[in-house]
Amino acid sequence: MKTKALTLAALLLGTSLAQAQEITIVREVDSNNYDPHKTTSRAASEVLFMLGDTLVSLAPDMQTIEPGIAESWEVSEDGTTYTFQLRDDVAFCDGKPMTADDVVYSMNRWTDPETKSPVAWRAGEVESVTATGPHTVEYKLKAPFSELLYQLTQSFGTIVDQANVEALGDDFGVSGFNGTGPFCWVEWTPRDKMIVERHEAYTWGAPFHENTGPASMQRVTWQIVPEENTRTVAVLTGQSQISQYVPYIALEQLKSAPNVEVVQSDLAFWTYFMGFKIDKDTVSDPAVRRAINLAVDQEAMAEDLFFGVVQPAYSYVSTEALDWNSDLDAQLLGYDPEQANALLDEAGWTRGDDGVREKDGVRLAPTAYVFAGSTWGKISEAVQAYLREIGVDLQIQAFDATVAWGKLATQEFDMFGMSYPYVSSGDALNLYFRSQNMPTPNRMNWNDARTDELLLAGSTAITDEERADSYGQVLEIVHEAAVWLPLYHEPMVIAQSTDLETVVPHNIYGAGLYKGLDLKFRD
Amino acid sequence: MSAAETDAADTPAPTRAWYLRLMRDPSALVAALFLLAVCVVAVAAPVLSPHDPFASSRSVMVPPVWAETGSWTHPLGTDGQGRDILSRIFWGTRLTLVIGLVSVGIGGFLGSLLGLLAAFRPGLDPWVMRLVDVMLSFPAILLGLALVAVLGPGAGPVIVALAIATVPDCARIARSIAVSVMNQEYIEAGRALGLPARQLFLRYLLRNCVSSIMIFISLRFGQVILIGAALSFLGLGARPPTAELGMMAAQGRDFLLFAPHIAVIPSVMIFLIVLTANVLGDALRDVLDPRLRS
Repeated sequence: MKTKALTLAALLLGTSLAQAQEITIVREVDSNNYDPHKTTSRAASEVLFMLGDTLVSLAPDMQTIEPGIAESWEVSEDGTTYTFQLRDDVAFCDGKPMTADDVVYSMNRWTDPETKSPVAWRAGEVESVTATGPHTVEYKLKAPFSELLYQLTQSFGTIVDQANVEALGDDFGVSGFNGTGPFCWVEWTPRDKMIVERHEAYTWGAPFHENTGPASMQRVTWQIVPEENTRTVAVLTGQSQISQYVPYIALEQLKSAPNVEVVQSDLAFWTYFMGFKIDKDTVSDPAVRRAINLAVDQEAMAEDLFFGVVQPAYSYVSTEALDWNSDLDAQLLGYDPEQANALLDEAGWTRGDDGVREKDGVRLAPTAYVFAGSTWGKISEAVQAYLREIGVDLQIQAFDATVAWGKLATQEFDMFGMSYPYVSSGDALNLYFRSQNMPTPNRMNWNDARTDELLLAGSTAITDEERADSYGQVLEIVHEAAVWLPLYHEPMVIAQSTDLETVVPHNIYGAGLYKGLDLKFRD
Repeated sequence: MSAAETDAADTPAPTRAWYLRLMRDPSALVAALFLLAVCVVAVAAPVLSPHDPFASSRSVMVPPVWAETGSWTHPLGTDGQGRDILSRIFWGTRLTLVIGLVSVGIGGFLGSLLGLLAAFRPGLDPWVMRLVDVMLSFPAILLGLALVAVLGPGAGPVIVALAIATVPDCARIARSIAVSVMNQEYIEAGRALGLPARQLFLRYLLRNCVSSIMIFISLRFGQVILIGAALSFLGLGARPPTAELGMMAAQGRDFLLFAPHIAVIPSVMIFLIVLTANVLGDALRDVLDPRLRS
């Protein structure tokens, strides 16, 4: 009888311990799929970092490249050949060992034009990727690409399993995903939740993790909760143990709650901006674009709308980012509505009876396309109010995320709202300002031969100085032309239960929890 | 002139003092006074507003005057963009009322015309009623969504959607009343006198149905305001920076835990307008409906 009771107790204890190793993470939106080569969403990256691995990893300082699947690598002197020495103990979730062939397949699928990957450019101009041994991969480029290692840390470089890709076909990353990451795919219910389970054999975590595997959590559920107050309450009541999607307005309340801890990292490169389609009548005049930049008070927005958590932005990339041109610091456009009005008067834009400016029959009423939702709702209305002061009548059109991306690929709008992650100035500039990236993501129609030339020079530069110089010049050109209205830089803020060990926020592509290896309940 | 005099003579005596009898009902009196005040505020919004309803300021989320930290500068506080809520309520009420009145007006007119015609010309009846059945099978919110997808967001598409949604209900009510009127002896008498169809329709049918239709429309008004606010709440109605009560409530949702007044004040306003419209509609029925007249 006594033994029976003991067994029962042990059983109960066992189940409660097992239950304790599960967490729920709440977030705002889901991804359209979880195929690393076919989506650019942050929601996909968050999960893919957990499900899969990349050749190299990025340390939380956002600068240092550390080993991943590759334990070491060499770069040839001309910067075009990278030789990766892979670990020999890596296995997929289904137990199959990972070899150089899997890496070769993954890289080729990423860059294959047939994959139609929107992120193929991130792999550089690949000449060939070949396996020179069972655990050696040679990555040859047509031209040097100084950012290659940074790009290879992104979720787009996740190693996939050829047999899995071929077996699932179009359902790859939708009904399943066989990866080598610390967690394995269990089930995805779109717009509801994604469930992943611990990969028991995982031992190859990057050295900067406290725990290099297997993960401490047995099961992780990514739950979609679109409404921000509901997410706050979920974290406060313990329905969710951790989330980076908490509204700034709730931070004070979360900080004062005894069961919640808030961690923040300012090493985040995630910038919100509004871009101008520079060939539209309303915003083709650089004076108009400069005036709009001068009219908006980013500091007041950061304080009043985002409670001082975000940093006002006057530059297109964070001034902390690699290769930022500090000569530009003094030229950035601050808040000066008087100068803005003077600039417009001078350029011949005169106010009509309703206070809206006009010139040559063009009414200064640009249409802006933004994402529907509270964040862009707040931002665009605030900008609209500032622009009224200088006689610009901003028309806001908000679209649900499901249609917004399509709308933003058209030529219908004059301005657009966007936010994006980057690892360096070069990363940001190559994404948005290359002429071949029109109409999207170069939605500004910025078509400048000099920019293209300098971007190419920057990405093929062999020395750091050369690269910084080329990108610095591009930064000067686009800031001078006022192609964007920068708004703010968003830090990484994570609210977590005090039951968990304090996490170190990671900012890679805005995926704050990165591999999830250090998610651990306190003893 | 002489036509007007005959018209007056035709009117049955008790309806003349309908408004006097309405005022005898205290709840109706209060409702009528409140709605009157709301209308005055809506019309005079540009004059009455203490601040520019679209101008944002650095003082965001200021609580209303009855809260500890409230002040008379912004009697109802400010919203998340630092805009004065009182001024936005004035302007928002204006737009909400315009949406309600115009859509009920258009929808009510078209609907009652259809219903009366169906009763007056029995040959049309099956066609009109099947059309109405089709329209009834379409929820107003869904219709609004579809229209906004085609026309883009704005007050216009909302008015169109609400008007269309009002047509079938109104047509049914108008038809059922008109059918019973058509069976009355005075219609027979009119026919026997050889009156032209137009006169028969306008002077005999319409005039005997109009009060019942008005009751329905006044009751419908509250519903329409509610659906209009719901559409704006979903982001399909007025476009920013326009103020609309439903949209103001939606924008306040994010601040519900911290500055509840931003969402609560416009919601209360919607509640009061709909409640008083319904109370008044009810009272109107008591006074005007011949079947309830004792």
